[in-house]
Amino acid sequence: MPETRSGLLRAFATGRSHDSAGGAVRAGPTGRCRRLLARLALLVPALLAAGAVPAAAQVDPIDNIQRRGTLVVGVKNDYPLFGSVNPAGQLVGLEPDLAADLARRLNVSLTLVGVTSANRFQRLQDGTIDVMIATLGDTEQRRKIVTIVEPNYYASGVNVMTPPSSRIREWSELRGQRVCATQGTYFNRLMAERYLLDLQNYNSNRDARLALKDGRCVAWLYDDTAIAGDLQDAEWAGWRMPLQSVLLTPWAVALHPDARGSRLERLVGDAVADWHRTGFLIDAERKWNIPPGVFLQRTRDLWSETDGTGQPLCRRQANGQWPEVCRNQALLASNDASGVLRIGLVIKERTGLDLSVLYDRYDRNVFLFAVLQSLALIAACLVGGFASGVVGAILLDRRIPVVTHLASAAIAVTRMTPPLLQIYVVFFGVGSFVIAHWGLSVDGAIVAAICLSFYAGAGNAVAINEASEFLRARIPDFRLSLATLPQALRLSQGSIVSTLVNIVKATGMASAIAVPELISASTYVMAERGNASVMMNVLMVVYLLLVLAVVRLLDRLQKWFASPEREVRPLAVPRRAT
Amino acid sequence: MDIREIFVELRTWTPYLAGGFLWNIIISFVSMTIGTLIGAVIAFMRASDEWIVRRPGNVLTEFSRGVPTFVFLFYLAYLLPSEVAVFGTVLPVPSWVKASLALSIAVVGFVSDNLSIVIRDWRAGRRESAVLFLPSWTTYFLIIVMSSSTASVIGVSEIVSRANTVIGAINKDHMMIWIYLYAMTWFFCFCYPLTLAMNYLKEQMKRRLWVAQTS
Repeated sequence: MPETRSGLLRAFATGRSHDSAGGAVRAGPTGRCRRLLARLALLVPALLAAGAVPAAAQVDPIDNIQRRGTLVVGVKNDYPLFGSVNPAGQLVGLEPDLAADLARRLNVSLTLVGVTSANRFQRLQDGTIDVMIATLGDTEQRRKIVTIVEPNYYASGVNVMTPPSSRIREWSELRGQRVCATQGTYFNRLMAERYLLDLQNYNSNRDARLALKDGRCVAWLYDDTAIAGDLQDAEWAGWRMPLQSVLLTPWAVALHPDARGSRLERLVGDAVADWHRTGFLIDAERKWNIPPGVFLQRTRDLWSETDGTGQPLCRRQANGQWPEVCRNQALLASNDASGVLRIGLVIKERTGLDLSVLYDRYDRNVFLFAVLQSLALIAACLVGGFASGVVGAILLDRRIPVVTHLASAAIAVTRMTPPLLQIYVVFFGVGSFVIAHWGLSVDGAIVAAICLSFYAGAGNAVAINEASEFLRARIPDFRLSLATLPQALRLSQGSIVSTLVNIVKATGMASAIAVPELISASTYVMAERGNASVMMNVLMVVYLLLVLAVVRLLDRLQKWFASPEREVRPLAVPRRAT
Repeated sequence: MDIREIFVELRTWTPYLAGGFLWNIIISFVSMTIGTLIGAVIAFMRASDEWIVRRPGNVLTEFSRGVPTFVFLFYLAYLLPSEVAVFGTVLPVPSWVKASLALSIAVVGFVSDNLSIVIRDWRAGRRESAVLFLPSWTTYFLIIVMSSSTASVIGVSEIVSRANTVIGAINKDHMMIWIYLYAMTWFFCFCYPLTLAMNYLKEQMKRRLWVAQTS
């Protein structure tokens, strides 16, 4: 051990002296010392920082590339669609295309070198390749050992493969379902916990897919880019990858650890930014028949945004960095951020509470939109539940031969069947009829609002009707109309209020048909982040506050409505569960 | 579409769906039992002369009224462990138990409110509300049976969730609505006659009590 240590110190000292002399990075007699330094620096992150400081003084890797006239890029040779060898022996795929564009930008020729997950770091560090574009997931650990270029150029995620006959379109439909999986992936346990899947683990992809073919499970859970590769195969014609990929791991272009802060890093970063802005990546994805994921679309939208002055929102700042909203938010630290973002990150670092709805722009937008969606649903159900209750009561009271009987039957059916099933019947049953005959798609939020309103309305109609029966027994010739309605409402307000509060509590049912309200948003965020306990508590608190606000509002309305001279007697109607 | 075909499909799947409905009844019964026990304790707390006992009883009742059951269902599904160690043995916590616990919170509020009235009346020498408690409880049980359909969203294999499975297995677009309507029929046929019977029973009891009081 002492030898290694003295060697380390000597190498460090030598390295520094050569830095100031401006030696070449990989070529020449000083190359070996620098390689040694680089390797040692990998082991000791503290040394890495010291080693990176003089980078500005040394020859930029870009100069070497230009002198050589060739850019050497490492791409995968075993990853169909992204980087693999064609029958002619050439490396082809999305990543070779990206490499070609980099060479074009540098105005040099391109040499592709096939790498695998096992040797890609080695090839970068020993100088065999200048740039690595090889399905490399961007993680904190890897940021310490190589230079990760921002922004990320792609993201892989977890998805499922389903047979042609499958109707599964949402992750929520897989809850409690038997899903086949391949043993040994990092995401199996996470997915089982976050999506409540009943996983059946098989030893290989082959076994898992055979089990799926035999109908022993409803889907096969695996990496989306790998499934996309399989689906190209004629064996799986008609099979699908129907869901939106989750647990996205962004991929990054990587450079030699010494290239941090170099002109090459800047040039590659600008190129990736350009690929997003111009749609080059989306075109390449389409060219290689890779099913479009949300990552490229979302990143393209973000990088195409402009600020107030018409400049791109994501542009390099004075320190050469991209603005925080444009960076990989999962790897940001609180001192990189400001505002709400900073509060969220500080809470995460100090307490471990992962409030991604505060620090992550995307999660925050999803959640805020969900709050608005839930508020809209609540407002619609309150108004609809009350209005349909009044209309129903008047129909019951009028004793019009057929109409009243129909209304009475409809009210009984609505009250005596579960609202969730009513939503399914209208959304899927009536909805598919509407699509088939008129080509219109039915909005889930509207369906949920209508069904829940009618459910509450049926309860309210019965309560108001009981009140008017009570009045009829005391006031001769009493008939329910808009003029006499206030009298009946005074008697039935207690049960109307409790019905309306219950329907507000039940608005979450809209999540069953994928309406992006609070429950959908919360299960989505926690599945991505793994912060189930935080998100579930946030959801519960927000919902309780909403319910409380509605109770207050109805209380106010009742006080405003109540006249002082009339005694209010609440009618005994059982409270409904939601 | 052919009525006969629909009828044959529904008949084929009836035993499977009926097994699902049995789960709805089991879940509802378990949640009524848990909710009634806890609700009864809270009701006695609320009837206490000591404010230090009465006050928590009121707060707990308020809380159980405010909690949205549907949200609570997700809360328990994700936050309760799927197995617990009790005295060294590992017991599984299946999702139907989580669903029963979630639904029982609504029962707590109902039983607490209704039983409080019974206790107050009983102490004042009036027995009527005690007699009326049983039909009210049964009516509430039916409401919980309908609510138990929400357990399908966390993957409990009850009738709604089985209806979805059947739809996937048959894989014919026009069958979807019939299967959902058929599942609805199960709820309606179970809940409607019983609700009517309970309302009738309640009216009879009220009349008899009223007659007994006046004579």
